[in-house]
Amino acid sequence: MVMDEIIAAARKEDRTSLTELESKQILKEVGINTTDIGLARSKEEAVAHSQELGYPVVLKIVSPDILHKTDVGGVKLSLNNKEDVGNAYDEIISAIKKHQPSAKIQGVSVQPMARPATEVIIGMSKDPQFGPVLMFGLGGILVEILKDISFRIVPLTMRDANEMIREIKGYPVLEGYRGQEPANIAVLEQMLLKVSEFVESKPEIKELDINPIFAYSDSALAIDARVILEP
Amino acid sequence: MKDIVGRLDRAFNPRSVAVVGDKMEMGYMWLRSLANFQGRVYSVQIDEKELQGIAALGVKNYSSLLDIPDEVDYVIVAVPRAVAPEIVQHCIQKKVGGVMLFTSGFAESNTEEGIRLQENITEMAREAHLNLIGPNCVGIFNPKIGLRHTTDQYWGDGGNVGFISQSGTHATFFTLVGEVNGIRISKSVSYGNAAVLDAADYLEYLGEDEDTKIIGMYIEGVENGRQFFSCLREIARRKPVLIWKGGETDDGTRATASHTASLAGPPLLWDALIKQCGAIKVDNLDEMVDTIQALLYAKPTTGNRVGLVAMTGGQSVVITDAFARAGFEVPLLTERSYREFASFFNTIGSSYQNPLDISSNLPHLDRIIRCLDILNEDERIDAVVLDLPVVFLTRISWLIPNFFDDLIDALSLYKERSAKPLLAILISAHAESEAIEARNKLVAKGIPSFPSFERGANALKKVVAYYKSAAP
Repeated sequence: MVMDEIIAAARKEDRTSLTELESKQILKEVGINTTDIGLARSKEEAVAHSQELGYPVVLKIVSPDILHKTDVGGVKLSLNNKEDVGNAYDEIISAIKKHQPSAKIQGVSVQPMARPATEVIIGMSKDPQFGPVLMFGLGGILVEILKDISFRIVPLTMRDANEMIREIKGYPVLEGYRGQEPANIAVLEQMLLKVSEFVESKPEIKELDINPIFAYSDSALAIDARVILEP
Repeated sequence: MKDIVGRLDRAFNPRSVAVVGDKMEMGYMWLRSLANFQGRVYSVQIDEKELQGIAALGVKNYSSLLDIPDEVDYVIVAVPRAVAPEIVQHCIQKKVGGVMLFTSGFAESNTEEGIRLQENITEMAREAHLNLIGPNCVGIFNPKIGLRHTTDQYWGDGGNVGFISQSGTHATFFTLVGEVNGIRISKSVSYGNAAVLDAADYLEYLGEDEDTKIIGMYIEGVENGRQFFSCLREIARRKPVLIWKGGETDDGTRATASHTASLAGPPLLWDALIKQCGAIKVDNLDEMVDTIQALLYAKPTTGNRVGLVAMTGGQSVVITDAFARAGFEVPLLTERSYREFASFFNTIGSSYQNPLDISSNLPHLDRIIRCLDILNEDERIDAVVLDLPVVFLTRISWLIPNFFDDLIDALSLYKERSAKPLLAILISAHAESEAIEARNKLVAKGIPSFPSFERGANALKKVVAYYKSAAP
């Protein structure tokens, strides 16, 4: 199992924080739809992955030491051809060397640029009394400013998943407010249930953050993800 | 987990009780609370000064629990904290069914000695599987057998509502305020610091208890949140469980720490837990009493549309606002209902739209009841609310003797034949003592009553949400 290998590798390196790439591989294994992803260790590999995945693509630094990729110049969006990709690769590597020279670089991830949609987030954290707790909310600045989020204690039932989505104040946004593409609620419910099942079966997961998830009318796609292991 | 049910049976239904350390200074509150206990009562006291007072109560005293020549099912302990471990040791040797420690000054005192003593008795009790309730609590109330924690409490007929409270005051207040509102206790327990037995254990017990149909809880915190979560999820499927959570604010959390040494936990998670388990959240004693009253005495509905009957115009406006604010619809009625109203209703100075203002139709008792019957028949209405302004009703009784008694009799007959919930709102204004009398009469006939429109609306809202969530 990829998941066990990833966790074992992290343990071996004595780190609890998994990279975006590792986190997404785990999510894929538990049945959560994530963007396709290729790991490039050179400019040439980055271009090759881009050709395979199809333009436009996104390049992001892959390093267990970097928590906020954008802040250190580790993310390049909307790359439309191989020149763009090649340049972006070099820029990312040099930016990291400049801003965080001590960071261990595993490579650069190449992912297709997903079509924008309403953003939602799913998170898991552990409460000292109640254990794993799931959080759901709208993504972007709404979750930060309005704290428009709902909580449920793991394990979730179908009804819990249903209610925690409908409970947020921003729910009308997901229904497709003023002609916006409505989100597929059933898909989001399934995603919550899969996360619940996953964290219940893997007590060594300490935190999980899938942010953002693009919620389309026919599917939902995890764009970024982060898993933290128990020490 | 399930073995807790059998284990607690002796403590909740004792045939013999021993009180350790009761004294004059406390007015012999424990021994006196057992005045009507349907079993054997013993006292344990070594202080010579107290012996005469205990003898005067007709209770036999021993100098040690171990000297009592009888099995002891339940022990009430009111000794100073330093002596508590010794008494707990005696309880273990005596193989008692359960022991309640009224004694305080343990972990909640946040003193080194208090914490150490609590650890000490906890360890002893756990090892010996002793049912230790508390410390820092008032223990069990079982009215059927006259086991009480204050002489203010009733005894004799038990009821069907169980109460589990981390606070002794709330346990006492709920039993007393509940009683005057038609809520009688099957069994209740106050359990303080929850050193050994915690909320989930008592919930499990009352969940299995056949006399208990509804369970109310006052909780400040639980040690094992996941155990409580799975227990509540299980029990709330079978009976309504109401949870009043203490320490919901940052400052309140500080109070729970010094009251029962409880970690209050994040309010958002408690809200989620209560919702997930299908329990009912209440925020204070009034809501607890109101909601249980509505569960016990109002017919169940999952509908959201109310028919409102006010006795005056001003009240017809504000009763409507109160119910609309609580999320209810106050719809127009069917044509059929309006035709019926038109056949008898005096509309000069009155109105039957919904809300109804029936002022000009007073003091005709038959018209009040006819209005209720029409609302009961109307398919657009799910629940009926009747405004009973005590001041005006008293005035009518001056013109027509027995008017209020006759009205209550008629309401009781209406309730029997109606399919929808009926709520009475008793607005006392300045006539508070008359309102109490009126409430008692309504309680006696099983008609739920509330002292304000808002409290009635809130109680109805909570039970409608409960029946909706309990519906398959």
